[in-house]
Amino acid sequence: MVYYLIICRSLTYAQRTAQVLERVGIPGYVQRSPKLISKEGCGYCVRVAERRLTDALTVLRREGMAPKQVFLQTAEGEYSEVKA
Amino acid sequence: MTVYLDSAATTLEKPQSVPRAVAWAMTHLASPGRGGHAPGMRAGELMLRMRERAAAMFGVGDPERVVLTYNATHGLNIAIRSLVPPGGTAVISGYEHNAVTRPLWAIPEVKVRVAAGPLFDGDGVYAAFAREITPDVDAVICNHVSNVFGFIQPVDRIARLCRDRGVPLIVDASQSAGTLPVDLEGWGAAFVAMPGHKGLYGPQGTGLLLCGGEAQPLLYGGTGSLSVRQDMPEFLPDRLEAGTHNVCGAAGLLAGMEFVARTGAARIHARERALNGRLMDRLERIPGVTVFRGGENQSGLCSIVVGGLDCEEAGEALARRDIAVRSGLHCAPLAHRTAGTQDTGTIRLSFSAFSRPEHADRAAEAVRALAGQAAGRG
Repeated sequence: MVYYLIICRSLTYAQRTAQVLERVGIPGYVQRSPKLISKEGCGYCVRVAERRLTDALTVLRREGMAPKQVFLQTAEGEYSEVKA
Repeated sequence: MTVYLDSAATTLEKPQSVPRAVAWAMTHLASPGRGGHAPGMRAGELMLRMRERAAAMFGVGDPERVVLTYNATHGLNIAIRSLVPPGGTAVISGYEHNAVTRPLWAIPEVKVRVAAGPLFDGDGVYAAFAREITPDVDAVICNHVSNVFGFIQPVDRIARLCRDRGVPLIVDASQSAGTLPVDLEGWGAAFVAMPGHKGLYGPQGTGLLLCGGEAQPLLYGGTGSLSVRQDMPEFLPDRLEAGTHNVCGAAGLLAGMEFVARTGAARIHARERALNGRLMDRLERIPGVTVFRGGENQSGLCSIVVGGLDCEEAGEALARRDIAVRSGLHCAPLAHRTAGTQDTGTIRLSFSAFSRPEHADRAAEAVRALAGQAAGRG
């Protein structure tokens, strides 16, 4: 499976991000950010399905919670940053 | 059974849901923001629910601006350190607690101006603030309710003054959170600090700091975020919450706030005031007892002096009769100086949502007996 990881500044922010998404029916799973993409150290992200990213970003921008970084996670476990 | 009338220090009887929540948290919740496992994530969810509940109760739009502290003193230290620099100027009311005056005293070269108005004279207090708030003031600090006399200070009007004059306001809501409207954004306050273990019925060792402005950390350490950087994160709540959280306390505090929300703060306030009125009616009929009584601007606590009897002696005598009160200066010598009771101190009796009319009656009878003994001794 391919996922997008919405990087959040803190656990609280990740939880609130997931709440906003869930309110509009987009499942968001809060998890630790992979070390490979956490350049500033420990953190959390919200994982969303590949097909829901566009909707998720639209909602988050509308709520004033536009993410700073989004990464694509491939089935092979590789990460690449995408333009949010 | 002890008649507990020291709720202004801490509420002793809690809703049953509070100890249950604490006990559950002890064995089910790990450290929030530190791991991705279920106990850690559950702890994070609880912390967020606690912040959201507080934000809804106290006029905070963004729950991330609700910071868990150890008590109100901790929050006040953060607030004061954030706003008052060395050599700075603060204006405080004449009824402040040492939780405000001592942190100010510790700031080098600080100038503290006291806006002192007569006891239970809201207009007088307002006029004093109006005189003292000038553009050079770094912060105004005012408690919502005096912990010694139950005097409800005109915080709404003081907040308007501060907004009009562009001076940051810190409100100490230690004696009002859970009974009176507390509204960070409505007041436009920079900070509101409160304990979790008084009118919010949480465990001791909990408090909240509501942040309307920029805050400087008091403690530095791990936050579970941006861990490569050696400065503290700039965002709340992480900026002010270094180290492992008091998650069990937060669980109890959430349960306590839910109790207050279910019961209704206004209803609790009305009940406490009614009990206080009943008590003061009885105390005022006792010869030799001075009751410091206000009107609508008095909360559910009162202070008294028993003529011819040292207040600490009176407190001990009441304790022997199973009446729990607080005697002395209540960590607020400034309030006593303002009210003219610094030499005698007072005996404070304070109610909670769980107090009953017979508690007021038993306390009044015990004071009557003490006053009679004191009169006989004199």
